[in-house]
This record gives sequence, C-alpha cells and structure tokens, in this order.
Amino acid sequence: MSDLVRLTGEHLLIVSIAVVIAIAAGVPLGTFAHRRRRLGGIALRITDVVQTIPSLAMFGFLIPLPLLGGIGPRPAIVALVLYSLLPIVRSTLVGLERVDAHVREAATAMGMTDRQLLWNIELPLATPAIVAGIRIATVTAIGVATIAAAIGGGGLGTLIFRGVSMVDSRLILQGAVPAALLAIAADALLTQVEHYFAKRRGES
Amino acid sequence: MKRLITSFCFLLFAFCSSREKPLVIGSKNFTESVILGELLAQKLEANGCNVERRLNMGGTFVCDTAIRSGAIDAYVEYSGTALTAILKLPAINDRAKVNELVRAAYEKRGLRWSPPLGFNNTFAMIVRRAGAQSQGLRKISDLVNVAKIYEPGFGYEFTERPDGWTGLQHAYGLQFAKPPRTMDLGLTYRALVSGQVDLIAGNSTDGLIESFGLIVLDDDKHFFPPYDAVVVQRNDLDARCHDASKTLESLRNSIDDATMRHLNFEVDGNKRAVAEVVKQFLRR
Amino acid sequence: MIEYRDVSVVRGGNAILDRVSLRIEKGEHVAFLGRSGAGKTTALKVINGLVGPSAGEILVDGAPMARHELPRLRRRIGYVMQQPALFPHRTVFDNVATVPRLLEWPEEKTRAEAERLLAQLELPLATFGARFPRMLSGGQQQRVAIARALIAAPEIVLCDEPFSALDPIIRAEMQSLFDGVVRASGAPPPTGAPEARTTRTTLVFVTHDVREALRIAGRVIVFDAGRVVVDTPADAFMSHQHPLVRRFVEA
Repeated sequence: MSDLVRLTGEHLLIVSIAVVIAIAAGVPLGTFAHRRRRLGGIALRITDVVQTIPSLAMFGFLIPLPLLGGIGPRPAIVALVLYSLLPIVRSTLVGLERVDAHVREAATAMGMTDRQLLWNIELPLATPAIVAGIRIATVTAIGVATIAAAIGGGGLGTLIFRGVSMVDSRLILQGAVPAALLAIAADALLTQVEHYFAKRRGES
Repeated sequence: MKRLITSFCFLLFAFCSSREKPLVIGSKNFTESVILGELLAQKLEANGCNVERRLNMGGTFVCDTAIRSGAIDAYVEYSGTALTAILKLPAINDRAKVNELVRAAYEKRGLRWSPPLGFNNTFAMIVRRAGAQSQGLRKISDLVNVAKIYEPGFGYEFTERPDGWTGLQHAYGLQFAKPPRTMDLGLTYRALVSGQVDLIAGNSTDGLIESFGLIVLDDDKHFFPPYDAVVVQRNDLDARCHDASKTLESLRNSIDDATMRHLNFEVDGNKRAVAEVVKQFLRR
Repeated sequence: MIEYRDVSVVRGGNAILDRVSLRIEKGEHVAFLGRSGAGKTTALKVINGLVGPSAGEILVDGAPMARHELPRLRRRIGYVMQQPALFPHRTVFDNVATVPRLLEWPEEKTRAEAERLLAQLELPLATFGARFPRMLSGGQQQRVAIARALIAAPEIVLCDEPFSALDPIIRAEMQSLFDGVVRASGAPPPTGAPEARTTRTTLVFVTHDVREALRIAGRVIVFDAGRVVVDTPADAFMSHQHPLVRRFVEA
C-alpha cells in the first residue's frame, strides 16, 4: 500500500511539474503566435509534429541526450512538457482569436496600448479557453506518464510494467486504476475551474 | 465443367494442407535471449523448416504463458528461473537436481525441457568500480555497508520475482533504505554507469560488464540457484517440421560462458545486428 | 483641428477613399452622410488611426498622424460604434471608468463623473453600476458605451452609426439624449487663456439617416464612391441642388 502511495505521489509530481512548465512556456508561445502570424504558424506546426511522436519513442529518443535526457524523472518531465505544449498553445491561440473583434476595436480606440489590450482584455477573455487546454494537457499527461516507467521515471506505470512482465493482471490494475482515477479527478477539477472563469468573464 | 471445379478444389485443398504452420520461436526481451532465439530460428531454417520469429516478446512469464498456449513453439529458458519463478519451488543449489526437477515438472506440463546449451547465466549484482573500492564491496554481504545510501535499479522482473530482490535482501539480511528504481532491463547498465543508480542486477554473461569496468559482487551465501540455459519446446515440433527436435538437439552444449559473453558483447558493445552475429557463429 | 490632405485609402485595388481633402474646425458638429460603401466609416476611422491612409496626410491638432503617439491621442478621442462592444468581463462602472483609469484619474473624480454622466443617460450608477453588460438591453448597453466614450471629456467624439441597431422609438430618444450630453460636455476652458476658446467638443457623426444628420450636426458632408461630393451647412442641406442630395431628401 505504501508502494502505491509513493508511486502515486511520484506520478502526480512529474505530471504537475511538466504541466506547470508547459503553461509557463505554452501561454506565451500561444500569445506570440497570435501576434506574429507567420512565426506563430511555424511554432504551431512544430508542436503538432511533436504530438504525433509515439510516447515510448519520445522517451527513448531522450535517453542519450546530455542535459535534458538520461534515465529517470528528468527526461520523463521533458517528454511530458513536449506533449502538453500543443493543447495549451492551441487553446491560447484560439481563445485569443475568439475575442470579439468589436471589443478589441473599442479597446484600441480608447487608447489602450498593445500590452494593455493583451493583459486587460484579451487574456482575461481567453482564460476559459486556455484553462480548457490546460485540462486536456493534464489529462493526457497523466496517461502518458505511465510510459515513463519504462525509462525509470517512476510513477504508476511502474506497477503496470511489472504486471505485464509477470503476466499479473492484478498488478497491472493496481497501476492502471489509480491512473485512470487521477485522470478523471483532474478532468473534473479543471472543468470546475473552467466554469468559474467563464462566469467571471460574463457568460452565464 | 463439374470435373474442372472438382479438380480445382482438390488442388486447393492439397495446396493448403501441404503448407505447414510455421514453427514460432520466441524470446525474452533482453539481448542474450534474443540472440538465442535467433540461433534456434536460423538452425531450424537451415534444416528446411518454416520459421516465424517472435523475439523480444516480454519477460519470463509472457514467454511461459505463450508456450503453454501454443502461441510460440520454442524458446530458451534458464533452469533456476523455471524452478523458482515459474514452478514456484524453493531455490536449491544442486545443479543436476535443479535440472531433473524442472525436466520432470515440465514433462507434466506437456513441455520438453531439453537440450541444455552449455552455459550458466546467473544474476550478477553489479556496482561501479570506484564505489566498490571506496566502500570495500567485494561480495553481496558487503552491501550491508551501503544499504542506507545506495539506490538500486532493476528491470521489472527482478523486483517482483521470488529469486529476485526481495528474496536476496531476505537471504542476506539487507534492508535498503531507498526502494529500487524500475526501468526497462536494457537501460540498467546506462543508469549505473551514469550514476543514476548504484546497484543493478545484470546477467553474468553480459558483455558490457567488462567494457564498462564494472564489478560483480560474489554470491557468498549462494542465494541464487544455477541458471543453465535450456531449450523449452512443445512436443509436436517434428510433426510440423521433419527432424525439428533433432536439429535443436544438435545445439546441446554448443555454447560455453565465454562464448555467450562474446556474442552478447558483439551485439551490445560493438552494436552489430543479432542476425549477423548468429549467422557468423553458425558458420564457424 | 482635423485636416485631411488628399487622403486616399486603397484596399485590394479598390479606392475606399479617393483623394479626400477636408478641414474640420474645433467645436464643429459634422455629419458624414452617404450610402453604404461610400467610404464615410473609413473617413471616420482615419481620424483616430484605426485605418491608415495609403496616400496623403491626416493632421490632428496641427500635427500629422505619424507624429502622434496613437494610444495617447486616442485617449483624447471618444469613439462610439454601432455595437456597444462593452467589455463583458467588467461591470458597467468598470467599463465607463476605462479611459479615466488609463489617464490615471483619482478614483473619486472618476466616480463622480460617471455618476453625473450616467444620470444624464438615465442609467443611475447606484442601480446599474455593478451590473454586467449581459444583464442590459441593447439600448442600455449603447448608453453605457456612450458614457464610456464621453466620460473623459474628449476633445473629439467620433460616432459610427451608433443608433442604427436600435429600434426607431429608442433611436429617437437616444438622439436627443446624445445631443444633450454632447453639448453639455467638452473640455473646460484653460485658466488664464488669452483668447476666448470654444469649449465645445468636435463631433464627427457617421450616418445614412438624413434626419438624424440634420438633427445632430451643424454641417453635412456627403460621401459617394470614396469622394466628398457635397459639403454644406445643415440648414442649407434641404434646399441643396446636388442630385445625390435630392435623392436623399426625397427618400
């Protein structure tokens, strides 16, 4: 049982760290993509490609890399960040684009600088969409993190891999069920956060 | 017209039944097992059999389940593993006795435990040379000095098997403070060399031990049973390919410890393709 | 105050504005009249830099647009569109307080001015201040938009068909309300000014409704196909002989 608690803690830790980094990198990236169409388009395409790399392969690629790679939680976090970027970048971009053009025009006409427009109007109005992207990223990351066990990243995947090698379904379930529950809980929690921001934004 | 159809059907039937179902060769998912699986496959192919390879399948239990169900027809197992992990019998150190026990048990399970290939691949508890020197580690009992600070790293099986980590700690009275990091078995050497973990369970025939300058700790309490490599096969191989079991029998005692280590190193150290290495070995 | 020198705006090969030259003095109330697509909205938008000219020059307060720092200039210009475009995530009061806060007014002054203005627009602050835009009707939202545009006593007020989305009854009310509010506003005279200055706001009002134009403006400029075709005082409009004017009057 203490094993399960420890592994769940490890799992939550690498997912949390990865998602926080992805938010810190992804929201600015999405905002940048919104401002500079062409460069933004390129960034979007790169994150798109990253998404298509099978997770086990991604973990494998990272092993020989000097700084970010190796074996253990560090490359696992790197891989999770890469996978979490796309949903967040995309949702930031879409959220910003969906801001009513007239509202934007009014704000500009009133004399807001680009930065004031971004912080006072665009980002607050895009927040529900951004949170939706964070939600998707988190739920995905919880699933992908189970693969991290293959490269010593720890987490609930450890039980799944052990179970597979022993052909022991009980062991597999011991890892898979908590992981699924974590994903469900994260989804529910972040949906609540999303609704809170939508209400504040003035949508009933 | 009727005669045409009849003869066509007859030919089709004859054609179908003369196509033998291929012999499926499996292996576990570490280099040595893949090499041995390839060896069985190439040997049978040289005999004219139709062979399908399912190498790198999974661990011990995946292979055992597969051969019992008929998903594979042959693979190479190790006597100690069969004894403790598969048959769940207590470990004993008498080599001949282990073999006899396993052979009889496998016969009852409807499988053939033969022939032995000629080498013993036991678990090797491995540490870095620098650590061994500074901490005075020469045998497994010495690990009591570092139980509080060393972090072990194992593949998934060793952590779970009765002849693995739990049994070892128990036999030697060890209690490691840090739980073992688990990862794909193939990555454990890298993890040890880069300092991510401090103790791994490798194979005594691994080619990388020497090339990385690592130290194997002596099993002074003889915890590990012998692990002779033996071919496990289903009983109906000859019906599917003429002289199949005779071909496999020709592999009896054809590989000693040093040869196996050499073959492993060719693949792991020199990065050569398994099929190439096996082909070269069979030609000598 | 506002001067167009041969201003052209070209988009995709089409001349939306074609060599427009105009002068609007401080304090004038001008209507830009014309059919849809005539270029009157574009002519309005070059004044606060929402649209940049492809050729020619636009000067505000004697200085060419290029030399102005746009955000700072825009805080001196009130802008009302057809859509209220209130910020949905801010209360009515916060919407109205936008420009004062950009100008860093003391909060009490903002509050007092908002109260005064909203009272004039028949939307008392006490009742409506804390409400969100989605709780207001279209007409109420447009009134808040007007308050938002006028609260900082801008020297120039630009309106782009602000009442055309409202139903006719409301529209008439809004026109008189708006007229009163604009006339009552305007920058206070600087103390110790050597000459008498007009304290009234410069108003440029875009519409396609003749009656609305004549009601609100003192001067009517008619646009057609990107050009100024008629430029006349309002009271001379009805008797003006230009064929386009005749068509407007007879409609």
